[in-house]
Amino acid sequence: MIDYFSLALTHALLAIACWRLLQRDDLDSEQEQDEPHA
Amino acid sequence: MLDLAITLFTLAFLALGFRKPFLWVLAFLYIDTLSPQKISYSLLASMSISLVAFVLAFMGWLLLDDKRDSRFTMRQGIIAVLLVYSGLTTMFADFPVEAAEKWSWVWKALVFAIFLPLTLRTRLRIEAAALVLVLSVGTIIINGGIKTVGGGGGYGTLRLLLDTNFGLYEGSIISAVSIAVIPLIVWLMKHGTIFKPDWRVKLFGIALIFACALIPIGTQARTGLLCLGFLGVLSLRTVKRRFLYLGVMAALVAVAIPFLPESFAKRMDTIENHKADQSASTRVAVWMWTLDYVKDHPLGGGFDAYRSNKLKVELVTVTGEGNNTSKDVVEVEEKSRAYHSSYFEMLGEQGWPGLFLWLWLLVSGLWQMEKIRSRWKNRTGPGETWQAPLANALQQSLLVYMLGGAFVGIAFQPFCYMLIGLQCGLWSYLKRIDSQVVQRRFEKPALRVGNAVAAP
Repeated sequence: MIDYFSLALTHALLAIACWRLLQRDDLDSEQEQDEPHA
Repeated sequence: MLDLAITLFTLAFLALGFRKPFLWVLAFLYIDTLSPQKISYSLLASMSISLVAFVLAFMGWLLLDDKRDSRFTMRQGIIAVLLVYSGLTTMFADFPVEAAEKWSWVWKALVFAIFLPLTLRTRLRIEAAALVLVLSVGTIIINGGIKTVGGGGGYGTLRLLLDTNFGLYEGSIISAVSIAVIPLIVWLMKHGTIFKPDWRVKLFGIALIFACALIPIGTQARTGLLCLGFLGVLSLRTVKRRFLYLGVMAALVAVAIPFLPESFAKRMDTIENHKADQSASTRVAVWMWTLDYVKDHPLGGGFDAYRSNKLKVELVTVTGEGNNTSKDVVEVEEKSRAYHSSYFEMLGEQGWPGLFLWLWLLVSGLWQMEKIRSRWKNRTGPGETWQAPLANALQQSLLVYMLGGAFVGIAFQPFCYMLIGLQCGLWSYLKRIDSQVVQRRFEKPALRVGNAVAAP
């Protein structure tokens, strides 16, 4: 049960993180920006 | 069911790489940290998923990624020399079969550490790598933390997802690594843009840090406790209200002690009285043996050279008090004892050259992070406040790792090289950004308004 919980929690977060990364252009290039953003 | 879920997750992770190849790098970080192929035996274990991810990550960078901003730094050069050198010692190893087995995962960790900084070209990539590392290690930590609270702890008995002592799943190793990731968790809580700081991130972060602190208790590995104390002292440098911090820490320790299991207190007592403890005495004996060994083999004996050791360890037990104290000395013979120290592991396996390279790698990392910290800490402009705290976090993580490494053989643990890869990436990224900022300031000072683009 604990195994399932810990795996589900972090893997859900990893999945959300990957999904958000796919939407962000600044993953591959910061050319548009004058400075690195916060 | 679990098999299928883990397999699908890993394959989906790899599939996303076709949209953005950098995700293959993250997938490799995930696979090499958590080893999903060990959790999901039937499906993933049949393919060498780690190698697949590695090849995809490398090919993705080679064929599809923009390489204009990739820089090869001195520390990557040191890793490359260490890679070649340990390859040579493997060829002439005392125990060729065992050495080849260790080499089979070491080379990947070293090559990845050389490769990772080349891909960390943007701030978001650096953050993403740190996040994936934290969440992957976090899986083991959350698991161990909950089991510790539930009373499942004990030296060598805390079961962390797997039944084997593979990689990070080994008690002493995870207890050092779980403390080493705390600074990164704190940084992600404050400066994350993938998960922006809000109450949920804060809640998760605090819970995760709590779980990290529980790992040394759950595994009853003394190294972890030393690391935790050391990190507490290191944090004094950056906390704003020192006295409040000290007060809170003292209160936490006072509250925590009654809740610790008795077996834990007993084991921690042996830190002071280490002569009565076989594992600690054996350690010292192995270290002495290693020093002798390198007198004859200054270039090292290759991986797993410790297998040839035979040690006589004297155990001193003191009973009674005051005048009635009696001392019992028992001699125990041990053989093929592991180094139980990264420094002696390096020395015995890779000789003086290997130890020198490794120390150079570590110390130059501390120095670089210090330099970034001092260069960026007083900047307050938009997008200029995350750099110094990240350098500080990476420095603290490495220092904790170096202390933990004094008592656990983790000189070739991939986690160490991921930290180093992150440091190299941050170093070369900031070097480039800084020179661009300076150049721009010089060229068109009037145009330099804080027009940083906010993250979506």
